[in-house]
Amino acid sequence: MSIPLDTSGPFMKDYATETLCTWCDNCGDYGIWTAIKQALTELRLHPWQVLLCYDVGCHGNMSDKITAYTFHGLHGRVIPFAAGAKLANPRVPVMAFGGDGASFSEGVGHLVHAIRSNYPIVFVLHNNANYGLTTGQASALTWQGQSMNSSPNGIPERTLPSMDFVFSLEPTFVARSFSGDIPQMTEIFKTAIGHRGFAYVDILQSCPTYNKFATHKYLLEHCKPVGPDHDTSDFKKARAIAVDTSKHIFTGLLYQNKDVPSYYEQLKARQGLKTTAVEEVKKIDVSEWMKEFV
Amino acid sequence: MSRVSLKVTGAQGQGVNSVGEICGKGLKRAGYCVFGYREYMSLIKGGHSSYQLDISNEKIESTETRADIVMNFDHHGLVENFYDVKDGGILLHQTPMWKFTEEQQKFLKEHAVTVVYLPVEEVLRKLRAGPILGNIFVTAVVWALLGQGADALKELVREQFGHKGEEIIRKNFEVIDEAVAYISRQEAVHPLALMKPDVKWRNHLYLTGSQAMGLGIIHAGCRLYASYPMTPASPLLTYIADMQNKTGMVIKQAEDEITAAQVVSGAMLMGTRAATATSGGGFDLMTETLSLNGLLENPFVVFLFQRPGPATGLPTWTAQGDLLLATGCAHGEFPRLVMAVSGSQDAFDLMPEVFNYAEEFQTVVIVLSDKQIAEGLSTQSPYDQKRAEIRRGKLITSPKALAKLTAADRYDPKAVDGLSPRWLPGTEAATFSSQGDEHDAEGRVNESGPNAAEQMEKRMAKMDALRKALPEPELYGSQNPRVLVVSWGSNRGPLSDVIKSDAFIGRKVSYLHYSYLWPLRTEKLMKLAERAEKTVLVECNYQGQLGMLIAQECGLRFDHRILKYDGRPMFYDELFEQLTALLP
Repeated sequence: MSIPLDTSGPFMKDYATETLCTWCDNCGDYGIWTAIKQALTELRLHPWQVLLCYDVGCHGNMSDKITAYTFHGLHGRVIPFAAGAKLANPRVPVMAFGGDGASFSEGVGHLVHAIRSNYPIVFVLHNNANYGLTTGQASALTWQGQSMNSSPNGIPERTLPSMDFVFSLEPTFVARSFSGDIPQMTEIFKTAIGHRGFAYVDILQSCPTYNKFATHKYLLEHCKPVGPDHDTSDFKKARAIAVDTSKHIFTGLLYQNKDVPSYYEQLKARQGLKTTAVEEVKKIDVSEWMKEFV
Repeated sequence: MSRVSLKVTGAQGQGVNSVGEICGKGLKRAGYCVFGYREYMSLIKGGHSSYQLDISNEKIESTETRADIVMNFDHHGLVENFYDVKDGGILLHQTPMWKFTEEQQKFLKEHAVTVVYLPVEEVLRKLRAGPILGNIFVTAVVWALLGQGADALKELVREQFGHKGEEIIRKNFEVIDEAVAYISRQEAVHPLALMKPDVKWRNHLYLTGSQAMGLGIIHAGCRLYASYPMTPASPLLTYIADMQNKTGMVIKQAEDEITAAQVVSGAMLMGTRAATATSGGGFDLMTETLSLNGLLENPFVVFLFQRPGPATGLPTWTAQGDLLLATGCAHGEFPRLVMAVSGSQDAFDLMPEVFNYAEEFQTVVIVLSDKQIAEGLSTQSPYDQKRAEIRRGKLITSPKALAKLTAADRYDPKAVDGLSPRWLPGTEAATFSSQGDEHDAEGRVNESGPNAAEQMEKRMAKMDALRKALPEPELYGSQNPRVLVVSWGSNRGPLSDVIKSDAFIGRKVSYLHYSYLWPLRTEKLMKLAERAEKTVLVECNYQGQLGMLIAQECGLRFDHRILKYDGRPMFYDELFEQLTALLP
């Protein structure tokens, strides 16, 4: 029996590198890393066709563990960098990755305005509910009462209700998955890359070293994919099931609105232009515009 | 060079700017070189403000502290700007029943100042014209006192308000005629004898430094501009944003300065030309991003518009206090270029070079400007668009060359002068990581000592190459000066006006102007300083920051320092006096 092989590529191995992974054993980043490579491969994108932008944190160490054009920036600032890159060349799929520390403390303003702006990029939240790379301090998403590095008595602040917060900003795409569910993450990433505007993807990620509350086992028991009859266009329902995690944590594509134009589409100055800003760099004649000053 | 000046003062929103703008443009069209200077407070309405025009038939790029005609819209000007009128000048006002103090009356008499009261409200009532036409009345009075004919003014008014309909135009003309008639009835006052006009100014532009810079940025092929509003950088954002439907540029008013800097960084990495602008406080927020671009070897352009700090300081005034900030900001060591514009000519001409250097040296370029340049108005010859060239350094775009690249070419530590090939995401080639951690040749995180040293040496080699590539400072005046004046930025205008004035001709006073401030070239300076009898440093900051950099780089210490840090620019007459005192 011969198995027909597709030899045109790209293949998952194209995204591989020789650089060894440095994450802890059982870190959720392995699953996310695998799903990203799989999603890009299944979309038939070559490594040179995409830009993957990483914030600072454990996840950021993926920046040289994957073959692609990658970027590894400053803590909390990955979203505006990715947005700027995308606006300069909208033809390149741009994904931004950030942790819960970067995205809900240091750079939370960027997340707010990215959702509001509806930049045509994907944002993947590596949500392990703590600052892993700096050895386990509490983040805004750490459960209140958990003893953490630098907060032995637990944190006095209440946990930030991230999903309710994100929905309050009227996002156009919200999905949630769990770092142990590679097939679901793969599907979500593929849908997110095809989304018109800002795709917010919350990946609940196990952190075996520092997160002793939302563990892999806990997430495995609580995460439940939304059923086939879930209506992704129903904002109210999507918000309700996203926010209520008391019994189950619903995962999958929770909400998508395809009718809201992206930031780029909203730029009147760019309408009708077939070129990208990257292609337009040349000396520009300003004679006509000088006349108004005569 | 003979010069005449007009100053209009009043509350913000009262029409001070509109009188200044109409007269400025009108005088330029009549054949004069005009330099406009605005002072205002950090308020929308009500603050005391002024608009001054300094006029000549030769090139003029400075403001005097006193004016030949001072028009005060309200009584505050009669107090605040009372002594701003020159000997033999005219003081106009429209405050009914105003009584000058005895001391003031004595001053008016001793200095032969003519006071003219303008019954604006009364005239408007008589003509059944709305209060808004008060500006036109005042403009027409001033216009007549500058010896200009009403027809030219009417033409300008039609140009500006023509779209409002014939009825409004007719009313404007009526007010103009009445104003001309009123002033001609005042026997005590005579129009100024303006110098002979020169037709060459007629086709010139009359524009702010921000508009000049905006045109230059557009001309340089910048296709994305992201900024957060902050005085005095906002007028540049306004101009570029207003032009977007014509230029097709991507404009982003960011949620903060960090965002603006990051958006620009991403856009530059992707391969377009992008820029941001801000003032001191906003710039402080951007500096971490500057450091990132240093390590990424990513071109980055920021315009830093100076105003007096620290903190909010004097938001609507001018300064040169951020030179050491620009040269020393941001953590770690990385190559950078610090440049400064000085007026409407180089605010345009230097823009292509700003982006060229950023791309050629794949690093951060900080361009200093200030409030004086941003909002001052110049009479400017139409820009020569043949001069500029677009140089993009080691940017690789051809498929053939791209195919030959390996990932390790991107940060190749053996690259000559540290300048390694650069290519863009989305192009079919070996991919690399633009890595904010210390990295190896292909952008992989690498914490080894030898690699860190090698990559640091690679990056800093660009600084040496950059120093060699930069032009030397420009010398104005004698090639063998006895007195050598050194400065930068907006001081160039008043300094060049002073050294070309009659009193300075033949006195061997020269001005050395620095546009490229870091890395600093000192060869030409040292040669001139060795032969000069006196060296003079002129700066609008407290510490003499360029002087500090010069001392650090070549050991030269200036014999005299003229420093100013009160938020005001260098004025022509004060600089004239201070430099005259230093003449051998």
